[in-house]
Amino acid sequence: MNTIRLYLHSMRMLIRSQLQYPFSFFLQTLAQLVMEGGEMLAVVLLVDRFDHLNQWGAGDLYFFFGLMSVTFYLTECFGRGITGNFPYLVRTGQLDTFLLRPRGVLTQAMCSAADPRRITCIAVGIVALVIGSRLSAIQWTFAKTLLMAEAILCGCILILGLFMIEAIFSIYSVKSIELVNALTYGGRSACEYPIDTFPRPLRVLFTVLAPFALTLHVPGAVILGKPLFGWPAWAAWVSPLSGIIFFFLIRLCFRKAMRHYRSTGS
Amino acid sequence: MSYISVRNLEKRFVIREKRQEGALLRGKKTVRALQGVSFDVERGELLGYIGPNGAGKSTTVKILSGILTPDGGDVTVGGRVPWKERREHVRHIGVVFGQRTQLWWDVPIRDSYDLLKDIYRIPAGDYRTRLAELTEALQLGDLLRTPLRQLSLGQRMRAELCGSLLHRPELLFLDEPTIGLDAVSKLALREFLQWENRQQGTTILLTTHDMEDIVALCPRVMVLGHGRKLFDGALPDLLGRYDTLRTVTVNYEEPEAVPELPASIPLARDGKNLMISYSPQEYATAELIARLQAAGTVRELTVQPQNIDRLVAAMYREMDL
Repeated sequence: MNTIRLYLHSMRMLIRSQLQYPFSFFLQTLAQLVMEGGEMLAVVLLVDRFDHLNQWGAGDLYFFFGLMSVTFYLTECFGRGITGNFPYLVRTGQLDTFLLRPRGVLTQAMCSAADPRRITCIAVGIVALVIGSRLSAIQWTFAKTLLMAEAILCGCILILGLFMIEAIFSIYSVKSIELVNALTYGGRSACEYPIDTFPRPLRVLFTVLAPFALTLHVPGAVILGKPLFGWPAWAAWVSPLSGIIFFFLIRLCFRKAMRHYRSTGS
Repeated sequence: MSYISVRNLEKRFVIREKRQEGALLRGKKTVRALQGVSFDVERGELLGYIGPNGAGKSTTVKILSGILTPDGGDVTVGGRVPWKERREHVRHIGVVFGQRTQLWWDVPIRDSYDLLKDIYRIPAGDYRTRLAELTEALQLGDLLRTPLRQLSLGQRMRAELCGSLLHRPELLFLDEPTIGLDAVSKLALREFLQWENRQQGTTILLTTHDMEDIVALCPRVMVLGHGRKLFDGALPDLLGRYDTLRTVTVNYEEPEAVPELPASIPLARDGKNLMISYSPQEYATAELIARLQAAGTVRELTVQPQNIDRLVAAMYREMDL
């Protein structure tokens, strides 16, 4: 409980400190809108040219896009301390400061940064979800809403786990940004589209290694009424948990890496 | 058992060297940052920790504060092993790095303190009393609403100190706290540290390059070099060993006056002044002054011990640091 209070307190403070530079904040938020709007434009053009991709109609494609956008940018908005800053924390020795306080390193990293500029990206995602839901005429039930919430939450945790790989590399002082970016930002761009539109190697990559398909696409497909892989509906409730398992595996490696941590000179 | 007990502390760093031309892989070099350091510190002590850059001071502090795990040796602080019980350990210590901030940059320092209160789970009542006490002692009252980035270096150091002491640590580590501060700020800071040490009984371990800090604050000083402890005791004892040269400046009424001194003592003329360097062990000060007075009418005479920084430099040289 205390940890959650600390997190909320930190977020309040971080947002207040971002608003110390209101004009810059406004411009950057606008820039995010242009960026994510551009991503969505790709879907609009695709749908305009072809009216379906495999079995997915226009509405389905909007829905998958929205699901990914909302998940990814929620993570970036509230987990920025892990998704953005970690290698910097290690390089500058700020990590030492965390180790000097009676709290977990990851808790403090989560509390160290927020990125409220991402609200425009999240808004774009929500718009896509609404359009998708309308076009595909989704019959919303309580169970479906709950399933979507589970998918988004597990997706967020998966993405945090993926970004932690970068954190681990940075502790061993290996420059690995490109490699990890292929999984994080690459995963985001690819998995805005349903998994079965990809060739086999990519399907394996984003189902087994970085299970975006299991956390987002399997439940998404069930909500759309077109289950993936011919799996039964209950599988959609279980498969997102892979994101949590992934996170805990990476956290184990992170613990190991922290024992290796050697700090920087001062 | 002593409050801090350090036995045969060892720490090695593996440094990757630049790849040699023609070689396939980069070579590795092991640097032994600490090679069997042992010492004890009692509760309430104010201890100075000196040594040239790269001697292993920061490494020791980082091990004692739980950031680094040593490669060998035993350490306990208040009965706890810092790196094994990190969270419980850091609840009882405070650390200030002179060149690194622990507060939040863009918010008023008061907001940073409020967050620290949550981080350390300080009870609200205790927090209020302690904050009031510290803001008064550190004269921070007018600055609480100012963002950290707008503070001067001296103000910032005071703000950092306040932040690191809110949870009433038993032990405070200070890594070069007076670096870059002006004379007034330095004096105020030293006064505060003495106050904190006496009032709260806080044990303070201070690393510094500013010998004035040591002279003003630390009854006990430890010298570290090449990862080994070279000296542990009172500052005057340390300096006594290296206090080999003094300089006498004398100004005579008669410009042509020249004192009769042994040939081993060099004599230099600087305008109207005569400068004589001598070693008090080889030639008694009283004898020298008597000779100087015999040579003419002395208008002015000063005897200066060697500058403390020079003494330390001589000491580092002799210890081959």
